Amino acid sequence: MASYASRRIGNNVALGLSLAATLVGLFFLGAILVTLLLKGFGAISPRIFLENTPPPGSDGGLLNAIFGSLAMTIVAIVIATPVGILAGTYLVEYSRGSRLGEIAKFINDILLSAPSIIIGLFVYTILVVPVGHFSAWAGAAALGLIALPVINRTTQDMLGLVPNALREASAALGMPKWKAMTHVIYRAARSGILTGVLLAIARVTGETAPLLFTALSNQFWSTDLGAPMANLPVVIFQFALSPYADWQRLAWGGALIITVAILALNIVARVLSNIGSVK
Amino acid sequence: MAISIDMLAPVDLVAERKARRSVIEDRVFFGLTLGSAIFVVLMLFGVMVALVVGAWPALSKFGFAFIWTERWSPVKEIFGALAPIYGTIITSIIAMAIGIPVSFGIAIFLTEICPPVLRRPIGIAIELLAGIPSIIYGLWGFFVLAPFLQSTVQPFLINTLGNIPGIGVLFGGPPYGIGLFTAGIVLAIMILPFITSITRDVFLTVPPMLRESAYGIGLTTWETVRHIVIPYSRVGLVGGIMLGLGRALGETMAVTFVIGNSHNISASLLAPATTISAAIANEFTEATGAMYTSSLIALGLILFVITFAVLALAKWLLIRTNIK
Amino acid sequence: MNDASPAMAAVSVTNRPTSGGERAKMEVKNLRFYYGDTLALQTVSLPLADRKVTAFIGPSGCGKSTLLRVLNRMYDLYPHQRAEGEVLLDGKNILLPSQDLNLLRSKVGMVFQKPTPFPMTIFDNIAFGIQLFERVSRGELRDRVEAALTKAALWGEVKDKLSANGLSLSGGQQQRLCIARTIAVRPEVVLLDEPCSALDPISTSKIEELIDELKSEYTIAIVTHNMQQAARVSDYTAFMYLGSLIEFDNTDKIFTAPSDRRTQDYITGRFG
Repeated sequence: MASYASRRIGNNVALGLSLAATLVGLFFLGAILVTLLLKGFGAISPRIFLENTPPPGSDGGLLNAIFGSLAMTIVAIVIATPVGILAGTYLVEYSRGSRLGEIAKFINDILLSAPSIIIGLFVYTILVVPVGHFSAWAGAAALGLIALPVINRTTQDMLGLVPNALREASAALGMPKWKAMTHVIYRAARSGILTGVLLAIARVTGETAPLLFTALSNQFWSTDLGAPMANLPVVIFQFALSPYADWQRLAWGGALIITVAILALNIVARVLSNIGSVK
Repeated sequence: MAISIDMLAPVDLVAERKARRSVIEDRVFFGLTLGSAIFVVLMLFGVMVALVVGAWPALSKFGFAFIWTERWSPVKEIFGALAPIYGTIITSIIAMAIGIPVSFGIAIFLTEICPPVLRRPIGIAIELLAGIPSIIYGLWGFFVLAPFLQSTVQPFLINTLGNIPGIGVLFGGPPYGIGLFTAGIVLAIMILPFITSITRDVFLTVPPMLRESAYGIGLTTWETVRHIVIPYSRVGLVGGIMLGLGRALGETMAVTFVIGNSHNISASLLAPATTISAAIANEFTEATGAMYTSSLIALGLILFVITFAVLALAKWLLIRTNIK
Repeated sequence: MNDASPAMAAVSVTNRPTSGGERAKMEVKNLRFYYGDTLALQTVSLPLADRKVTAFIGPSGCGKSTLLRVLNRMYDLYPHQRAEGEVLLDGKNILLPSQDLNLLRSKVGMVFQKPTPFPMTIFDNIAFGIQLFERVSRGELRDRVEAALTKAALWGEVKDKLSANGLSLSGGQQQRLCIARTIAVRPEVVLLDEPCSALDPISTSKIEELIDELKSEYTIAIVTHNMQQAARVSDYTAFMYLGSLIEFDNTDKIFTAPSDRRTQDYITGRFG
């Protein structure tokens, strides 16, 4: 072994590097957030919430894009949440280590990290091609398929935390299983499952690629879910890469809106799970 | 249904009826949960089938040569996946080369030296990085990082490393700002939080007793990490790395802004290129012609196969360390 | 097989009382229990006298909880556990696959070692069980809830906070809530699995008083590792060891003049 002095130096160097790495990580986080604030803040004005996306070279707002994102996210979550919770319920309450159960868990976790662009392509082939045009329904479907594994996974984790004694106590009263689940077990895991839904919403809020081939976008205000619909991520994508200063400004404004929304969701989710665990 | 019916009070009749109904209700509930779980499994197969069907025209026309053909000509309707595949692999390698050491560094800092008071805030900050959607990274990369690299770092690299024979060719050519190198850096920042948090979780599975015995015989902190913690958690670490790799391979928006969108393969890391997901994202909506679209879907299929393999391996490794 | 004691014979196997003793509400006959491939209970047979308290005692791992959990088929929740033999409730074998488990458990209730209030209000904790198998009006529901809480000696302490969450009660109160919840559905048998082991002495003595009052209406089986408690509350005692029933008799007899050497050793604290 090397001399003690050189070992000490080696230790200090290594730990110094790890500190440096942390500073690097924090620096980039700061750089990105600061850029976002600086460039995006200037674009935030009441206009951005009141007007639709403008034609190239002029000023306007993001109203239709905000609406589109909200509408598609809501539809996506409304569909994905019950399916995700039920799937997670099967994997924890009924499967009990069976082969199908383990395979389903495995596959779900892979879908969790799978590239979202693939999901977009998938929904394109099943919902856009047969119908013949892009639509907000397809966009919502793509977002829903991305949210589903997230909700499934968090439901599994949260149900796993519910003590078995509660299940036995419910059974001991003669409670049918479905009643035990809905009135006792889900209630016990309530804040955790809700946290999972919030995190799924946060995840879905920033997704761009899947919307490119499903909802596409729309210059105008539209509430028709069967037609292409504007949404924040795709609008940001288009506007940012354009040569127009107004459009670029709006892109940054939209980016700030999305990031604030996601941060807010994360904070609420964190607070919820803290409340849940204190109980 | 054998029920004790010595004395049939009216209460018992109600009870029996409710009991019979709840058997049906339970079965319906079970069916719903089972159906939902199976739906998730079917989704995966559905994706596979849809991609194969969509890619079939291109695959049947080009065959396996699709994978190693560089030429990409929408006009002539001749497509090859080599450039996107090359770009995907190279950007991921760059992202890993930068991301792994930095992530490990952060994880080591958080588990070994960080004052307990700061642990949570810094941990949360790193998680915030994970929550930022990739389009923000793309914007930042395009408007901030690329110009910066173009004006300072890249000329520097070209003038120094670019002149060394051999690896110099990696840093040749004009400083575009956008390209493989920039994309690799943006990717590295994107996957930092994922690898960091898994690495940190894996480090925390090392029994405190093991650490204490190491300190007990006089090992320094770094030596303990290097000789005890890392070998002990080796399998989980590799799993975390593979998970990061899986994300890097499939990342779209962060890369699309800064990759340059060129289907030419150049030796230089500073040259514009394309990745599978960037190609699809950039070209899909303007793809005219069935063969063009089919070729893009074929690219998607290739990406799907690669990421599925990497993620499955990662998951398998992580299961072996009991980290979820 | 040690089932030759007079008490065993006195508690008869049919519904009709014999000249000697009482009716058996439940009867365990040649019960064998398996965890996977491991035999955990070896051919146990004993009666549960109607409206009497029967205690199961024995060192850790002797199978007393396992036996208790067969009586309401709680083991059915777990795929690798199975029982062979017969367990009769009012003469009908409840181990048959055709037995409706929820209906069984509405007749044979269980209170667990750790209090497990549902995440609902105190009122709902009780009301929920009642409404599982009966149709009751709002007014009657309130009365039933009050009656159950009164019987569990909890009414006075909670009557002003029925809409508080069940988890806001103290440990002893939570356990009494669980007892109230169990008897609110009007079972015929109540199984108690070490109900006081997680509680302080004052709550324990309150619950022991409760058991004494309850036995006029319910058949009670109690698992306890506290021998003094068994001696205090029970009419009959079963001593178990390593998965077998060693001795079953009147409680007085077991604790003053046990027939088996092993019972003697356990009672006097030589092991366990």
